[in-house]
Amino acid sequence: MNRNEVKNCLLCNAPLNSQMDWKRLFFNRFPKVICQECENQFEWCLHEQDEEVVSLYYYNEAMQDYLHRYKFMHDVLLSKVFREEIYYNLKNRKEMIVPIPMHPEKLKERTFSHVDELLKEARIPYVHLLEKITTETQGGKTREERMNTPQIFKLKKTVQVEGKEILLVDDIYTTGTTIRHAKRVLIEGGAKSVKAFTLIKSGFYK
Amino acid sequence: MKRKVQLTKARQYKGIIVEPEIREFFIGKVWSRENTPFSKEKIDRYIENNYFKVKPAISEKHSFFPFFNKKYICNRCSNDIQQEFVEFECARCRKICVYCRHCINMGRMSSCTDLLVWNGPSEKFPKHHILDWNGMFTELQQKASKELLDSIIQQRNHLLHAVCGAGKTEILFPAVFHCLQEGLRICIATPRTDVVLELFPRFQKVFPNTVIHAYYGNAPKQKGTAQLVIATTHQLYRFEEAFDMVIVDEADAFPYTYDISLQKAVWKSKKKGAPVALVTATPSVQILSKVKKDGWGYSFIPKRYHGHSLPVPRFESLWFYERQINKGRIPKKLALWTKSRIEQGEPFFIFFPTIHLMQKTAPLFQQIHPDILSVHAKDPERKEKVMKLRNEEIPGLLTTTILERGVTISNVQVAVVGAESKIFTSSALIQISGRVGRNVNFPGGEIVFFHHGISVEMDAARNEILRLNKEGFQ
Ligand SMILES: [Zn+2]
Ligand SMILES: [Zn+2]
Ligand SMILES: [Zn+2]
Repeated sequence: MNRNEVKNCLLCNAPLNSQMDWKRLFFNRFPKVICQECENQFEWCLHEQDEEVVSLYYYNEAMQDYLHRYKFMHDVLLSKVFREEIYYNLKNRKEMIVPIPMHPEKLKERTFSHVDELLKEARIPYVHLLEKITTETQGGKTREERMNTPQIFKLKKTVQVEGKEILLVDDIYTTGTTIRHAKRVLIEGGAKSVKAFTLIKSGFYK
Repeated sequence: MKRKVQLTKARQYKGIIVEPEIREFFIGKVWSRENTPFSKEKIDRYIENNYFKVKPAISEKHSFFPFFNKKYICNRCSNDIQQEFVEFECARCRKICVYCRHCINMGRMSSCTDLLVWNGPSEKFPKHHILDWNGMFTELQQKASKELLDSIIQQRNHLLHAVCGAGKTEILFPAVFHCLQEGLRICIATPRTDVVLELFPRFQKVFPNTVIHAYYGNAPKQKGTAQLVIATTHQLYRFEEAFDMVIVDEADAFPYTYDISLQKAVWKSKKKGAPVALVTATPSVQILSKVKKDGWGYSFIPKRYHGHSLPVPRFESLWFYERQINKGRIPKKLALWTKSRIEQGEPFFIFFPTIHLMQKTAPLFQQIHPDILSVHAKDPERKEKVMKLRNEEIPGLLTTTILERGVTISNVQVAVVGAESKIFTSSALIQISGRVGRNVNFPGGEIVFFHHGISVEMDAARNEILRLNKEGFQ
């Protein structure tokens, strides 16, 4: 995506250590794109997972800043930041990887699908099974409003979900409304199981 | 057929009545087509009627020799560093689109977004202005001020090389006044918001019936079209062929020579042939050679307005300071220095090379005195903390290089920890030293470079200060 390899931290612009990292080269890992100091700002939340929803990080200040720059300031390049972590968490999943889609109008406005880009950068293959039918976002709503939202997704035409095991992927998990809606549509369509993976978990963070 | 279309367009150009609001907003600016305070329909109508030039935010240049390659240029910030361009599959234009990361903080612009440049009638500025200032110039200030004015009249670029505390703002008044009376539009640009905030009220006071605007990140909206603009150099990205004179004041700010695309922004913001005046305490070798080669005007003030010499930095070794701090100890010399400032009731700054080191040390300093605070670039309470020091509510401040310029506190004493660190270039160290002794009542003061081995830059800074003092007292 970037025309040249990344030489400075994508978040703070500090020069990255360009020493030959043999381990990285040997295991064909992703080259680093952020510095150690920026990396340390993010907070893992892997210790409190449940079976159904796996999230990688808390929505702390650094993560809020990241998401703002990536999703709202449209800095597509930042899709690289968590590619290694996403790769290692998803590469052995047996389910079909299904990103939460954006409404086509919203997509045109943002110019890129932030969830798809995260997966692309992590080299995780995915398929779209859902279509978003409302243009409203969940962000500006109260908890109650979110809970009572009517349908937000429908199954894409011509897709087959019967008997499939599915892993939904989204950027952030807040109240779970989005995931719940998507899951309902897929289960009603005959899916065998639906679990979820998100980069960020919000709401439980103090 | 084509001809006919153009003719109707020309007729419409005369037909439409330009709303002053639109003209005021767009004159001399480059602005994103999608993000204006006016409706899309209205903007489209003005475009149709030729009131705007429309160009894509990113241009491509192809060269076939020596290799076939593509080069991108950002039409907003003039950036052409290729690493700062990002290609992506765009869902809007359904092509490979490119955006510039250099100016992304002002809202992302990509190949499929348009920039608007005002193409309609230009503004007429008033020629009647008042200069309400009755201060006195020193002989050197008088001379420099006249030299600058001469350069501006001849439309020649000018370098005003003035030591920190030479009273350079006043030196600008006559030249600015002259331009205002000619009905010209002027911009004073500085890399730092703090400096904009300091200059703005001063100019408002001195030029009471001139429309002056201050532009910086998140500045409040201001009415009308300003004849005098005081802006951070970043805000210059938004202007194109707007000014009849640009003064770049880096004397109390981060080196403007640091960022090439900012220099380009200065050149883009002024009209063709309009002069640029550069004010600095530490001109780079490149600037000095440009001044010679291109025949710029040049003024030099090696002396502070109060006539006292610049405080000369003292070097003190602070071996393995980092290791000591990591172990939770303040190096002894540094602790003693701090305690003696507090005992003598002198306000102080202690500069650190990194936020990290500063934050590690802060609680240790608070054991010496609980009110010692620390500030850094992203600190939302920066202004308040400096204010507290000024009001003598706190004994001293720990800081990163962010406060190196632009902050004047009477009788302040300064220490630099880790002066040998890379971030402390000689010009940064000269500027830091320039914080000390600015007030006529306290022209002396302490400036100490605590170090783990003397660097070439430290040495160069000290020699330059000694040289300036010598020149100033010949
Ligand atoms: Zn970083
Ligand atoms: Zn740009
Ligand atoms: Zn596009």
